[in-house]
Amino acid sequence: MTNSALDCKKAHILMMGRIDDELDDGQNRLLDEHLKSCNACQQQWNTFVHLKERTGNMAFKSLPDMYWDDYWQKVYNRIERGISWIFVSVGAIILIVYGFYESLSQFFNDPTVPIIIKLGIGILGVGFIILFVSIVREKLMVRKVDKYRSVKR
Amino acid sequence: MEDDRKVIVACKAGDVNRYRYLVDKYKKRAYYTALMFTHNPEDALDLSQEAFYRAYKALNRFDEKGEFYGWFYRILKNVCLNFIRQKNKEKGMVLADNDTLKIDIDDMPDRIFEKNENNRILWAAINHLNKDHKEIIMLKEFNNCSYKEIAESLNIPIGSVMSRLYYARKRLLTLLEGLYD
Repeated sequence: MTNSALDCKKAHILMMGRIDDELDDGQNRLLDEHLKSCNACQQQWNTFVHLKERTGNMAFKSLPDMYWDDYWQKVYNRIERGISWIFVSVGAIILIVYGFYESLSQFFNDPTVPIIIKLGIGILGVGFIILFVSIVREKLMVRKVDKYRSVKR
Repeated sequence: MEDDRKVIVACKAGDVNRYRYLVDKYKKRAYYTALMFTHNPEDALDLSQEAFYRAYKALNRFDEKGEFYGWFYRILKNVCLNFIRQKNKEKGMVLADNDTLKIDIDDMPDRIFEKNENNRILWAAINHLNKDHKEIIMLKEFNNCSYKEIAESLNIPIGSVMSRLYYARKRLLTLLEGLYD
């Protein structure tokens, strides 16, 4: 039991803020008052300070400077390559679509091809387009509601 | 001294070179976080760079009023977990929990921390914490994140950051007592 304006539960939370240097002056004052009047919290505070010192002494294995020196360059290369891939993909899609369009135009305008073949190819093409649109729509709908979308399966 | 927000606005406007400021500022944190996931310096380097690349690609979706590192951490964590999952799949292993810092209990910290007794005991105790406690301890103690950044990283309010840290540290102290007994 203490006479301070702070109960122990709140003091525990403020201890974290103090240890991590995240408290404002008012909160620091409240915690100081509590610690002065509560032995249990004062004892706990000391153990947290000791723990903080120990974790603060855990030094990561350092990486040679050369890895840090070209770190940005490697990130930049990835960004640049990503942009290049977008251009390559868009260019390839334009050429493929144009190629399809040209060959289909030639095919359908060729009077030597029987009408039944043209009809068959036309229906097949429409079927593929509907199938493609359906799959894309399904993927987009799943993506909208899938909370794990950012995790690769 | 540049400000994260100004840099992000410039990057969104297409100035890729300004992104260097963010990469230089957070690269060590990112690398050591990835190292704690992968335990392999080459993989950690590669995955942290990949995460920076993915963050750049997704920058338009980031609200610059938020903390960049908190948002970036979530990308980095996903990149690392996907990598570990893929690696385990190749080895024919399945992770029991798909959203955790899966670390072998017996794993020595030599590949992550300088070799000494304090590190060994602390690392063993940290590995016995549950995943939420382990993650918040790593963000605070080893990444030196602010409470704001932790709140953004874990998507929880600052009050919850403080209480979770309290219970995590209390548990860690209990585990350390057990290891010394």
